Amino acid sequence: MTDATKVAAAASSRDPAVGLAAVASLRVLLESLEELQVTNARAQGWSWQQIAEVLRVSRQAVHKKYRRFGF
Amino acid sequence: MFERFSHEARLVVVSAQEQARERAGDSIRSEHLLAAMVLGRPNPAAVVLKSLGVDGAVVDAEIGRLRPDGSPPPDAEALATLGIDLDEVRRQVEEAFGLGALERTRAARGRAPRGHIPFDRGAKKVLELALREALRLKHNFIGTEHILLGMLHSETGAAQQILASHGVGLDATRVIVDELVRGQQAG
Repeated sequence: MTDATKVAAAASSRDPAVGLAAVASLRVLLESLEELQVTNARAQGWSWQQIAEVLRVSRQAVHKKYRRFGF
Repeated sequence: MFERFSHEARLVVVSAQEQARERAGDSIRSEHLLAAMVLGRPNPAAVVLKSLGVDGAVVDAEIGRLRPDGSPPPDAEALATLGIDLDEVRRQVEEAFGLGALERTRAARGRAPRGHIPFDRGAKKVLELALREALRLKHNFIGTEHILLGMLHSETGAAQQILASHGVGLDATRVIVDELVRGQQAG
């Protein structure tokens, strides 16, 4: 952790505004990372079933979410 | 409710939908009305805003900083409170997937909506307040200048925040609009 990160983590406290904003940002980041990984997996020839197993979600869920990407 | 809208005001409402679509918004929000005002055909509100230092380029840049759903992008500071270093995450992702990969995802950009895009609560409120502003100033039509005044009430969303950050407030703008309309009626 950088110094700035340590300071910020120490300051996280129980302030809902801080905590909720952090969760919201994390969700955006999570969605971006998942999309990158699923895209990459499909590009490498992984099946929806394989992707779903590693993500620990159902095959239908991952397919429904990403089929509009056209791969 | 649109029968008393001026021609320019109708154009602003229509092109707000285009603004929302281009910016991948899933609803038409106050900032799309604002963008339609300053980026479209000349209209009284755009003239007022220009005199206050707010033009198309300013609004475009401000809206670019919002996420498509009107919320801010992943916030490095907020993530730091969880011990997550966004710069480091970005660096790792770019090492694997190339420069700008994290920002290029659909999740980060928002997806382009199709078909009808509804007005959100804030944008509806702007239009209601535009009517109220016209009545208050005893103007017998609703123009872009009244939509602008409606936008300057605090409960309408990002447009108000953008304008406030550039020093555009309700009371002062109301005076300018009233003078403008009276000038037109006298001339």
